[in-house]
Amino acid sequence: MAFFSSGSRALVEILTGLQSVERPMPVDHTLFEFGSIRYHLQASITDSENIYLSISTPSLSYEASPSSGLPEITLQETRKMYHKFAEIIEPAKEGYTLTLRLNFSGLTRPKDRTKAINQISLLQSVILSSQLKDMLASLGSSGTMKLVYNQRDPFFVSKTPVKISAIFPMRFRDDTDLAIASSFFQELQDLGSTSSFSRAPRCSWSPIPPPELRGEYVHHLTTNGGFVSFDILARHVKGWRAARTAWILLNFQSYVKYHIKCTRSYIQSRMRKRLEIMTEVIDDAKFRGNDESRKKLQVRKRSKRRSIKFARAKKLQKGFKAVIDKIKRLRLRIRVKGLDRFRRHCQCFPVLKLTMAQRKEQKYQKLE
Amino acid sequence: MANTLRLYLTCIRNTLEAAMCLQNFPCQEVERHNKPEVELKTSPELLLNPVLICRNEAEKCLIETSINSIRISMKVKQADELENILAKKFLRFLSMRAEAFQVLRRKPVQGYDISFLITNYHCEDMHKHKLIDFIVQFMEDIDKEISELKLSVNTRGRLVATEFLKQFI
Repeated sequence: MAFFSSGSRALVEILTGLQSVERPMPVDHTLFEFGSIRYHLQASITDSENIYLSISTPSLSYEASPSSGLPEITLQETRKMYHKFAEIIEPAKEGYTLTLRLNFSGLTRPKDRTKAINQISLLQSVILSSQLKDMLASLGSSGTMKLVYNQRDPFFVSKTPVKISAIFPMRFRDDTDLAIASSFFQELQDLGSTSSFSRAPRCSWSPIPPPELRGEYVHHLTTNGGFVSFDILARHVKGWRAARTAWILLNFQSYVKYHIKCTRSYIQSRMRKRLEIMTEVIDDAKFRGNDESRKKLQVRKRSKRRSIKFARAKKLQKGFKAVIDKIKRLRLRIRVKGLDRFRRHCQCFPVLKLTMAQRKEQKYQKLE
Repeated sequence: MANTLRLYLTCIRNTLEAAMCLQNFPCQEVERHNKPEVELKTSPELLLNPVLICRNEAEKCLIETSINSIRISMKVKQADELENILAKKFLRFLSMRAEAFQVLRRKPVQGYDISFLITNYHCEDMHKHKLIDFIVQFMEDIDKEISELKLSVNTRGRLVATEFLKQFI
């Protein structure tokens, strides 16, 4: 699902475009992703080698977040990851939590530049995962905290010395969504326990809140879709896996909603198709709708069409004849009945018959 | 088709063939009005005994006959929550497009999922045997469609769950 890839496509596109242009050009873009993540990209002609990238991400928890800026661990992680081609500018641009100055001039090979751009596109997932790490560290050896990635759907993270559990209270607006989601959760639970997905976090779905959420507010625990929890072990957050696992879990609720939306539209299209098939049957039941009468009707229509065609042809023929006759009449000299006979008898109007040669010899004078 | 379903449908077909002998009959209550007696039920002498055909508790068909109209109401099988939702959704979808079927009632009779109302005018416009074929095929199609929808929703769920878990590996 491209929609849930952790890399920002827009960032990749803009940065790649900037690297491929021959002449330096000014850039000033503001982008929004997933509703709450905001980017700002700035580059000028005078300072063409440096690109300024600012990002603003929502805080995962109001309780644990510092009053301003990002936690130190996030800055460290960012420095560590992008030290080859980027440096953090402090203070960050106004309205943003982090500003980076990107300079790809040190990377000579185009392959390295592409890799660096792809790394930059993962910036939001790096920030979110490090934020998550920081919060979990602040929890101590065990405890539970509420996270708000999507404002409508908060979820809980519970930490024990052995594992971390991400618990999602699932709420749906109607019964159809609930039925589709239930089927999905059931499959998720069943698949998670198979040997082929033994390396994935164990998933469980229960209608009642898990014991880790004991003591939470009742309105946080009131759901119609139950609670889905993932048990994250140390191997799931080892090294580069941490950012990916955090990103997947943060987007779990959006993933479920997207699946529901697609399934609903699939059901709708199937119902439309079935409706068409059913209406064909009832249309066929009509007296005019059956095959024999339809054939007869078609034959009748064809014969009618033929007769219409013939009639039209006849009319056209008549019309054509009339036009030709008119033309003939116009081209003919005016005839008076009996005039020829009278002329022959009386010879009062002698008309000279001249050959072409005679006509040429004869010179006519123009009368005025 | 399962044997029990075939028997059930054959029974409905035979009953419909027997019941569908409708004629034009003006309303006895209101002058110059011609109303389906099966709906109004004003004159008991114009009504026949309703026939209820049951396959099981969840699947049944009620055929109510009168002199000028016949009403067929069906209850569709809903084995679990998903089937229940899908059946409701599909039947609502069809009821909202009742004008495409002409004989479909916009609102089902209480206790049933979908109802048809066939009047003598429908019998004059359509072939009787084809109308019966339509009713029987409709019942078959509804069952088939709901089963297929359920299957495809579960299959999609499984595929999406597989894709989700694959991300961790």
